[in-house]
Amino acid sequence: MENTSAISISNLDVDYGSRRILSNISFDIRQGEIMVIMGGSGSGKSTLLRTMLGLKKPSAGHINMLGTDICHASQKELYKLREKMGVAFQGGALFTSMSVTENIQLPLREHTKLDENTIQIMTRIKLDMVNLLPYENLMPSELSGGMKKRAALARAIIMDPKLLFFDEPSAGLDPITSAELDNLIVMLKETMRMTIVVVTHELESVFAIADRIAILGDGELIQVGTPEEIKSSTDERVINLLNRTPRENIVDGDVHLQRLTRDNQ
Amino acid sequence: MIRTINNLGNYVLTSIEEIGRTFNLLLIIAWKILLPPYQIFPIIKQIYFIGARSLTVIIISGVTIGMVLGLQFYNTLERFGSVGVLGSAVALSIIRELGPVMTALMVVGRAGSSICAELGIMRISEQVDALECMAISPDKYLVAPKLIAGILCVPLLNFVFNVVAIGGGYLVGVVLFGVAEGSYVNGMIDSVVWADVRLGLVKSLIFGMLITLICCAKGFYLHLSKYGSQGAEGVSRVTTDAVVISSISVLFFDFLIGALMS
Amino acid sequence: MKSKLSAESNYDVLELSGEIDLHYSPQLREMILGSLKNGNSLLINMAEVSYIDSSGIASLVEGFQTAKTANLSYGLLTISSPALQVLTLTRLDRVFTLYDTVEQFQSQL
Repeated sequence: MENTSAISISNLDVDYGSRRILSNISFDIRQGEIMVIMGGSGSGKSTLLRTMLGLKKPSAGHINMLGTDICHASQKELYKLREKMGVAFQGGALFTSMSVTENIQLPLREHTKLDENTIQIMTRIKLDMVNLLPYENLMPSELSGGMKKRAALARAIIMDPKLLFFDEPSAGLDPITSAELDNLIVMLKETMRMTIVVVTHELESVFAIADRIAILGDGELIQVGTPEEIKSSTDERVINLLNRTPRENIVDGDVHLQRLTRDNQ
Repeated sequence: MIRTINNLGNYVLTSIEEIGRTFNLLLIIAWKILLPPYQIFPIIKQIYFIGARSLTVIIISGVTIGMVLGLQFYNTLERFGSVGVLGSAVALSIIRELGPVMTALMVVGRAGSSICAELGIMRISEQVDALECMAISPDKYLVAPKLIAGILCVPLLNFVFNVVAIGGGYLVGVVLFGVAEGSYVNGMIDSVVWADVRLGLVKSLIFGMLITLICCAKGFYLHLSKYGSQGAEGVSRVTTDAVVISSISVLFFDFLIGALMS
Repeated sequence: MKSKLSAESNYDVLELSGEIDLHYSPQLREMILGSLKNGNSLLINMAEVSYIDSSGIASLVEGFQTAKTANLSYGLLTISSPALQVLTLTRLDRVFTLYDTVEQFQSQL
């Protein structure tokens, strides 16, 4: 595998107001690999994704994507980079005033001057890849949650981007569709040479698709490594995350009784 | 005590921030619409939504207001024996004041609230983020067509309002109360001058821009306001805010423009 | 993308090499449709194609459909491994007629 970085994050600090969400995050995502970003709730992984997409400006640090430092880039440079990026948001974020087909075609219509037939065929190819071809003329409100996610994926890959971002791709999908999606992600990486970043909770998907895994906790990067390295990690937080160990809630008996029976103020 | 001052200070600061942000949006859009690609079709679509859909409301309220004016003026003028100036009175009131103001207020209720809600919902369901990530500028793609359509439609709707309102006044004055048709119509033609029409036009242009800008900005920047994290409830609250603030702005600017241009 | 169009006895051969993406696919489309419009069957040599994206594939598909309607023969010759992978991913490997040798194509004209 090539060793050039597609995405290079260095010393990233991200705040929301006075709250520090991410501190000193540094790691690389190599070209052509699938990097899964994991972490418990509140670990900052959604914020990390938003910052990587350029939707949030960090307080410090750099993110270098395909040669552009997105934290200090002009809007023009950022938009140029975004034409090579595809994003599938968690809820799909489909445009409700357009049909599924129109949603998927939007990037093509805005950024290319391809012939109408070409656009039509490309759209249908992508719809077929996510098994939505029979539903091409439906409106987003007529789709189930799983179908929305698949449509969002088709829209994200319509221009065959070099970088693909997924926010919780398997959340809310049945196991079979989830597995099909995992297969698709791996095939996209191999066939279309995409670098893919997936933010997810689902452990099974993680180990099925990841080339490397980055684990966040409380806004810090706990560990980055291959699935084997992560599985054999000695860090307690990683172990708990992988074993789905519930957080312990040790409370003094008297204190707890007080909490349950005190007067509401 | 300190708390109150603190809250007041906070309120003033966030309001100034918001006004600045709204005005900034206007400048950004004014700049961006000069550059290609040019979005003609979305503008036409928005003109339909804002204009054509508001037409019924405007006609009904226009006729009604005209009739009310006819009624009230007749009542007053009769006491001074000057019912001959009914036409002038109705026409001048409509063209200078009530036409622009009522049109703007009706459009705020009809189209402004739905614009604000639509943009707010798009914001919280990440549709605006999705556009950004597709390298499509959301202010140019979503907001600009609405703004342009608003500036075009409101004066046109105003014109329709004026016509039917004057007609309404005619209905009450001439048809109902028997004022001489000649004096109604000629009185109107004689007393309405270009300055009056110009005043009405300037007002409706400014109102059109004002109400569309405020409603768009409120919805578009929902995530930066205090309702940002409230989901659907936040959308409904910000929409109410937008309608209230747009309406009050219309009334305030109505006075300002009138004072400056007289 | 580099291309070479040559005319044989009763069909055209289009040799493609390099990467075919959004920038080059309109050109590819023109050439394919141009050949077919002149009433020639078309054989597309894909041996040297290192990368093809879905816009390129779409042009190939449109060509196939046009050929079918005009009752002309249309096929892909010695398809390269990267190109075959993309065809498999887009489930089009069973749609096109793939040939290993020119003779195979000629025999069914």
